[in-house]
Amino acid sequence: MRGRAVSAAVPIPVIQLLQVLTVALCAPGLTGVIAKVEARLQGRRGPRVLQPYYDLAKLCRKESLAPEGASWFFLAAPLVAVAAYLTIPLLIPVLTTYGLPLGYMGDILGGGFLLSLASFVVAVAALETGSPYAQLGSSRAKTFSAITEPVVLFVVFTVALLTGTDLPYALAATVRSSAGEVIRPAHLLASAALFMVILHETGRIPVETHTGTSEFGMIEEARSFEHSGPYLALLKWGGQLKQLILFTILADVFLAPWGLASTQRLGAVLLAIVALLAKATVIGVVVAVIDDSFAKLRLFKITEYASAAFLLAVLGVFTLYLGGG
Amino acid sequence: MNTAPGVYQGAADVIAALMLLLEFGMLRQALVRDQVRLYAAQSALISVLAIVIAADRSLPDLYALAGLSGALKVVAVPLVLRRLLGRPASEEAPGVAGSHTLSPATAVLASIGLAAFGFFCFGALHLHSPEAPALALAIAGAMVFVSFGLMIVRRDVASQAIGFFSLENAISLAALVVAAGLPLILETAFLFDLLVAVVVFAMLMRAHHTRAESLSTADLTRLRG
Repeated sequence: MRGRAVSAAVPIPVIQLLQVLTVALCAPGLTGVIAKVEARLQGRRGPRVLQPYYDLAKLCRKESLAPEGASWFFLAAPLVAVAAYLTIPLLIPVLTTYGLPLGYMGDILGGGFLLSLASFVVAVAALETGSPYAQLGSSRAKTFSAITEPVVLFVVFTVALLTGTDLPYALAATVRSSAGEVIRPAHLLASAALFMVILHETGRIPVETHTGTSEFGMIEEARSFEHSGPYLALLKWGGQLKQLILFTILADVFLAPWGLASTQRLGAVLLAIVALLAKATVIGVVVAVIDDSFAKLRLFKITEYASAAFLLAVLGVFTLYLGGG
Repeated sequence: MNTAPGVYQGAADVIAALMLLLEFGMLRQALVRDQVRLYAAQSALISVLAIVIAADRSLPDLYALAGLSGALKVVAVPLVLRRLLGRPASEEAPGVAGSHTLSPATAVLASIGLAAFGFFCFGALHLHSPEAPALALAIAGAMVFVSFGLMIVRRDVASQAIGFFSLENAISLAALVVAAGLPLILETAFLFDLLVAVVVFAMLMRAHHTRAESLSTADLTRLRG
């Protein structure tokens, strides 16, 4: 009886929904795991793994205030950002090796646009408040994302040169096809560049201390200063969603596109969920180790970090230009 | 769409790419101590590459070369450099830290341009032979240009010496991928050329340090008129 349940086929729309639900529900848990690992590495006991869920629940029960003079955009921005983040799991391989019907709504650039849109509306909402720290945060976030944008573009070029398309499913399939595809320099260089961008985008050391309380070092964290209650909860959840989405792209498209379901069987889909969470946790542990082993860069040294990531991405394209790489 | 090279070829290409990245690391590193460490790592990669090629093309000579090159470049040369710079480098390295003429980010961007030039020069040769892998050769070419860049943007004798030695690493890389079957005696002779360079640079550094009491070459402009 149980064997039959595991081999039963899951309808495609349900798998598509599961992709979104997996990301939506597990994102705070991943943040909890990273915080726990980080604390253990520092010799602290650390918060519970489920703490981010409790935080979100607590914030949802609090009242929300908006600064005087802020327009409707201030309150709409967190909703738009979360909506954008929840659309991305439809476009990327989260659980399946085969493209789902809505998976071809957008390519890698489409996903990139949605990520930028979310970050843009949050930045505009922060500007609306008139609070100096929130404005400082959004100004810095936009400046540095302009510097890391070329890196992302070159990573996309590498994907395009490797697969002839810019579909994340195609790159995952190419990487799975042979060991030679994994070990080629272009693939490794692009993956390393993407990892550096992810550290920047998720506000991790060496770019930003995400647990810090000093406003002067803040970039992304400062933007949500004026939001409160459920809106702050949405912003926090959005940050966690973004982290899991970026980790999923790194794991399921670039580094380890294995363990994804190649059929519609329930067992395969469930296994894919477990595999995704395991891969995201491994990346999270690496991020936690980096967090604990390096110091935060001075603000004006972040350009050096970005130039290193740019170097990796450009070399990836160069090696492909000569063929073979 | 590009097809992937085989695993061995891919591994060789990755090692070559890592060597180029270490070259960039030397370019932006402020302390001589760290530069020497990166040079040792780069030289270790050359030995690993020799082992990979030896295993791939079954050339037992290359194992001996890997060992010899490792002993010389990973152990001996860094040791000599450290001993030589021992006193000046520990005394807050006069003239070395901050000898960048460009800021590190600008230097890296400029060197990406140099590397691109090297890449496309070799790309224009249109080498497509299994015996001479175009990519590793082009990376060696890019490394030559970047190490020249390193010697140009740094105004201290120690960095320039390291730039020169890593230039030799780039040439070794090119020799290894193009002419892996070169007789061992010739390869060894090339290695000993490096020793001559080390001795010459050692004397230059010593002489410069005793005269100028600094490793910076900025002071040399005083010799003019």
